[in-house]
Amino acid sequence: MPANQDQGPGGLHPDHELSEQDILKAMKGLSGYLDITPGDFKEVFDLAYGQALRRLGLSIKARDLMTAPVVSVGAGDSLGQVAQVMAEAGVSGVPVLDDGGRVLGVISEKDFLKRMDPLGSPSLMGVVARCLSQGACLLAPLLEERAAQAMSAPAVTLGPEATLAEISALFSERGINRAPVVDRQGRPLGMVSRGDLLGARAGRRA
Amino acid sequence: MSFGGKLKGNTQSPPRVSLEEMAWSWLGSFLGIGAVAGLNHLYFAGTPWTLIVGSFGASASLIYGAIKSPLAQPRNFVGGQVLSALVGVSAQMALPGQAWLAAPLAVAFAVVVMHATKTLHPPGGATALIAVAGGPQVHDLGYLYALLPVGAGALLMLAIALVVNNLPAKRRYPEFWL
Repeated sequence: MPANQDQGPGGLHPDHELSEQDILKAMKGLSGYLDITPGDFKEVFDLAYGQALRRLGLSIKARDLMTAPVVSVGAGDSLGQVAQVMAEAGVSGVPVLDDGGRVLGVISEKDFLKRMDPLGSPSLMGVVARCLSQGACLLAPLLEERAAQAMSAPAVTLGPEATLAEISALFSERGINRAPVVDRQGRPLGMVSRGDLLGARAGRRA
Repeated sequence: MSFGGKLKGNTQSPPRVSLEEMAWSWLGSFLGIGAVAGLNHLYFAGTPWTLIVGSFGASASLIYGAIKSPLAQPRNFVGGQVLSALVGVSAQMALPGQAWLAAPLAVAFAVVVMHATKTLHPPGGATALIAVAGGPQVHDLGYLYALLPVGAGALLMLAIALVVNNLPAKRRYPEFWL
């Protein structure tokens, strides 16, 4: 029996896992006698599935997952410019580069929300709620700010050879949703976001 | 898991096969055993030799009735039968007249030898047992028992399996050779 009875290798709820009924149906679909019990088949399947996930976790690298080329902003850009760049590219976070093109930090929607409502939790609805209740324009404090002031720094970056397993662990440890992939000089090669990890898990590889 | 929990079992029986599958299993078994019984009748009646050994009935269940099973593949069928016959004859020769000990040794070693050589074929255990418990006619064959009836009969039954199991579109045999 698998060691963990509550969750399968994919971390799925038991109802969403392969059941013995599924296996029995499949066995009926194949003609001929299979001398394996549904229970044994499930045990083999669970172990093989876990093995495949581990193998994919180690074989898929940041360079396979990342979105490239990178949309980035300069450290001296105003937050207005940053917002425009993000809006045009349709991304929720961009790396902030120094004059030499090296990654200094990352600025995301969450960083904007933090600046707009330094007291509350950085969420869009928090900002909307305060705006509606106080009638204050929360964007005003952002007018004079530069990307370097609002960004999260130092940036959590990835090497192109970081594995899917390492990236997943890093994202949950640091509570981040994206990270720039950088070369040895710290110049950005691409961005990996949580969505990219989901795509890889679902087998949708670019 | 507790001993009692293990005794309860933890899964269910595989599904029943279709009538079509049963019909093909019947035909293979009939032709396979028919071949060894018919040739035995034609050529070996009244001779010290035979082409039939009881464990072929058990082999028929596998090579005509459970043809996807690893236990039913040519390596397991022919290898398990012949190796078990050799083990059984050896036990009989080592302990003549001591069937109470030779019989369990023959079967136990046959199972281990089949496992070690990846040729596990359950009827092989019967083949080893028959080498000891089969009486003077079997004992007199000596190691010939492994070739005739066991080896020759197995090859004949295998030839039938290769034909009959590949006639229907939905059946395929073997899964592997070696």
